[in-house]
Amino acid sequence: MHKDRALWVSLGVLALAGGAYALRETGGTGWMPGCAFRKLTGLECPGCGMTRGTYALLHGRVAEAFAFNPVGMILLPLAMVALGIEVMGWVRGKPMPFRLNPGRWGATVVAVVVIVFWIVRNLV
Amino acid sequence: MWYYSKNGMQLGPISTEQLSGKARGGEVLSSDLIWKEGMSDWKPLAQVPEFQSTSGFSNPPPVGMGSVPMQQPPIYPAGYAVGSVPNYLWQSIVVTVLCCLPFGVVSIVHAAKVDSLLAQGDIVGANAASKSAKTWAIAGVATWGVGIGIYLIFMVIVAAGAAASSP
Repeated sequence: MHKDRALWVSLGVLALAGGAYALRETGGTGWMPGCAFRKLTGLECPGCGMTRGTYALLHGRVAEAFAFNPVGMILLPLAMVALGIEVMGWVRGKPMPFRLNPGRWGATVVAVVVIVFWIVRNLV
Repeated sequence: MWYYSKNGMQLGPISTEQLSGKARGGEVLSSDLIWKEGMSDWKPLAQVPEFQSTSGFSNPPPVGMGSVPMQQPPIYPAGYAVGSVPNYLWQSIVVTVLCCLPFGVVSIVHAAKVDSLLAQGDIVGANAASKSAKTWAIAGVATWGVGIGIYLIFMVIVAAGAAASSP
């Protein structure tokens, strides 16, 4: 158990919670800069819709959140859980007994899904 | 408590009894790498004193193995611990979905290659892919940070201009 690491993680969690609260209370994402890739190319990137989706999710509108970015809405929580486990291992100084490792095929599937999603969402 | 490796995945921790049970059952081979706290590096099960009797009885070498040259290099060359090459897959996913730049996609592709290369015994390639995944993820975050910074400065200037021009 590393106390200094625990402090940094606590600060990070507080910042995340603060950010989520701020996003929830701002009344929409219209004031934000939006996606640079979409501004430049007119195409959507694999992450487009995540801020609007998170905003919808924070107001309890799950279906709307998934409509903004279905793949991101599944992958982001998964990644946050996986990284949370890694961070817990980092804080206590040895790996957690249970870790989310997608393995060699899982990792390839994730890469393919993201790229296919990127292409398909710009076609339909 | 022991950690062991199987198909490029680090598994465990499990107790000595559980591990020798798996060794007897053939789930963990005498050539599989195992490690516990206090050991300087991962070792094949057969070379760890606690399991020498178990592995000797349960996994006799196939007949004629001594005369046939090895067809493939060992999965993990000595000196490299399982999981010593981080794949940064989850980090690259976060960058892809949140930073809204294609950098993250490049990072994911490199991240996906790490474990495949490891499984093929290509430590050098795995390390290179791991480094690329990390570099592209950091590039994505950095570009995003700079973009947000410029946007915020721009907003402040616009706000100041509006305040100055109004009576």
